[in-house]
Amino acid sequence: MLRYSILRKTLRDQRWQIAGFGLSLTAMAAMTVGIWPSYRDMLQNFDIPSAFQAFLGTDLSIATPAGFLSAEFFSWIPILLIVYAVIAGTGAIAGEESNGTLDLVLAQPVTRRSLLLQKAAATAIGSAAIVAIGFLGFAVTIPFVDIAVSLGDTAVACANMLPITLLFFTLSLWLGAVLPNRAAASAGAVGVATAAYFVNSLANGVQSLRNLQYASPFYYYGAGLPLIHGINWWHAGLLLGLSALFVVLALRTFTQRDVSTGGATDLDMAGLLRRIVAHGASS
Amino acid sequence: MTVPAIELRGVEKSYGRTRALRGIDLRVEPGQIFGFLGPNGAGKTTTLRILLDLIRPDAGSASVLGFDAQRQSMDVRRRAAYLPGELRMYDTMRGAEFLDLIDSFRPERRDPRYRAELLERLGLDATKHIRALSKGNKQKLGIVQALMHRPELLLLDEPTSGLDPLVQETVSQLLEDAVRDGRTVFFSSHVLPEVERLSQSVAIVRAGEIVAVEEVARLKSRSVHVMEITFRQSPPAALLEGLPGVRVTHRDGPLIHVQARDGVDAVIKAIARYEVVDLRTEQPSIEDIFLAYYSGDAKGDREREEPRRAAV
Repeated sequence: MLRYSILRKTLRDQRWQIAGFGLSLTAMAAMTVGIWPSYRDMLQNFDIPSAFQAFLGTDLSIATPAGFLSAEFFSWIPILLIVYAVIAGTGAIAGEESNGTLDLVLAQPVTRRSLLLQKAAATAIGSAAIVAIGFLGFAVTIPFVDIAVSLGDTAVACANMLPITLLFFTLSLWLGAVLPNRAAASAGAVGVATAAYFVNSLANGVQSLRNLQYASPFYYYGAGLPLIHGINWWHAGLLLGLSALFVVLALRTFTQRDVSTGGATDLDMAGLLRRIVAHGASS
Repeated sequence: MTVPAIELRGVEKSYGRTRALRGIDLRVEPGQIFGFLGPNGAGKTTTLRILLDLIRPDAGSASVLGFDAQRQSMDVRRRAAYLPGELRMYDTMRGAEFLDLIDSFRPERRDPRYRAELLERLGLDATKHIRALSKGNKQKLGIVQALMHRPELLLLDEPTSGLDPLVQETVSQLLEDAVRDGRTVFFSSHVLPEVERLSQSVAIVRAGEIVAVEEVARLKSRSVHVMEITFRQSPPAALLEGLPGVRVTHRDGPLIHVQARDGVDAVIKAIARYEVVDLRTEQPSIEDIFLAYYSGDAKGDREREEPRRAAV
C-alpha cells in the first residue's frame, strides 16, 4: 500500500483532468459516429476538392467511414491528448520546482530517478485511461449506427494515439527538467507540437514540403490509417523509442543538477535557450 | 571518537557569480541542539540543502551521520528529517494525507501514536486542507512531518518562524525531548534570542563563512548594548570616542548610535554632562554582535563595514 506513493499521488492529482479529457473524447467520438449517416448522404452529390482532402491529413478518402473518422476525429484528437501530456509533463518536475514543493519530497528517502519514473508512469497510465474513456464513445454508438467500421479497428486506432501522446509528454518532461521553469517548458513543447502538426498537414497537399513531413511525429502517427492497415509498428516503435530517449535525457539532467527552490527559476529567454543547447550538446 | 552528526570540510558553492559558501568547515557532535546563526543570505539554507543532496557543492566534502552527503544520500535521508525554510506543501492535500505521503517513504518508521501526540501538543487539526491552513499552522505541519518518524538528525531551517511564543515554547520542548532520546537537532536562525533559548552550541555564519563556533553560554556573556542617544545640541565630535569597549557606529549632529561591550556605565558617565533628549537601548542584532566581537580590530573593521553589509 505504501509503495509507489508518488505514482498514486500523481494519478490522484490528475483524476479530474483525466475524467475531463476522457469525457471530451467520448463526446467527440459519439458525435462523429452519430453524424456519419447524414454526412454520407450529403456527400453523394458533392465533389471534394483534392487539396482540402489532403489537408485533412490522411490518404484515406473522406467519403469512406475510415476517412471520415480519420479527418474528423483521429487527425486532431491527439492535439487534446498533447495538451494533457504537456500539462502533466511540465508539471512533473518544473511545476513542482516552481511551486517549491519538490524540496521536501526530495529530502525523503526517495531517489530522483524513482520520483521521475513514478511520475512518468502515472502519466502513461493517465493517457491510456483518457483514450480508453474516449473509446467508450465509439463503443456505445458504432453498434447502433449504420457505419461500416469495426469496433476492433477503432480500438486499434485509439490505442495508436498513445505513442505520439507519450512522445510529447516525455519531451515536456525533459524540457521541464532542463529549464526548471514551467512556462518556458510548456511554450517549447507546444511550439514543437504546433509546428509538427502543421508541417504534416500542409505536406499532404504541398509537394515541396514532402521531405519535411518525415521530420514530423504526426506523419508517423498516421491519424486514421490504423483503421484500415492496423498499427504501423515501425512508426509506433519510432515514437516510443524517441519517448524512451527523452525519459533517459530527463533522468540524466534531473539526477545531476541542483534542485532549485521556488523563485530561483526566473531566467531570461536567451538564458533558457542557452540551457537547452548546452544540455542537448552534453547529453 | 564518536561519529559526528554533521561534518563539513571546505564546502564551497556558487550560484553563477554569487559565492554563497566560501569554504565552510563545521563539525557538529551528536546528541545536542546546535544553532546555525546568521543573517539572511549568509548561506544557511544552502548549507542545509547540501546536507540533503538537493544541491551539490562545488568543492569540499559533507558527511551526515557518517555517510557521504552526495554518494550515500539515501542513507542520510533515511535517518534525517528536513524542515525547509520556504515551506511549501501540496495545497490540495489534507494535512493527514500529506503526513501519510511523508510516512510512505519510511514505512518501517511509522508511528501513528507519536504523530497523533505531536498534532495534539501543537494543537493542529490535520483534517483540514493545507491551503486552508494559516502560515503558523502550515509551519506546525512542517514540524510534525519532520519529527514524527523520530529521525536521528533533524535539519530545521528557521523552525519557529511564523509561530507564536507559546507554540515556540512547545517546539523547543519537543526538540529537547528529541535530544534527550539521543538524537541531534541542527537548526538555522537569524534571530539571536531563538538560538540562545534553544541551543547549547552555535555556529555563526556570515557571507558564506563560519566566523565563530561558540558555546551559547559564552555568547550570552558577550552581551552588547546598542544605544541611540539624542542630545539637545550636537555634542563635541570627540565625545565617546576612545572609551574602552565603546564604538560609535553612527553620528549625525545631535544623534549618536553607540555599541557598548562592557556595560553601559562608561557611556552614561560620559554623556551626563550634556543635555540628553532621548536615550534608547535595543536588543543587539546579530550584526551588532558580529561588529562588536567577530570582525577583527576596530580600525580595519570600520573600513570593511560598508561593503560587508552590502554583500550580506
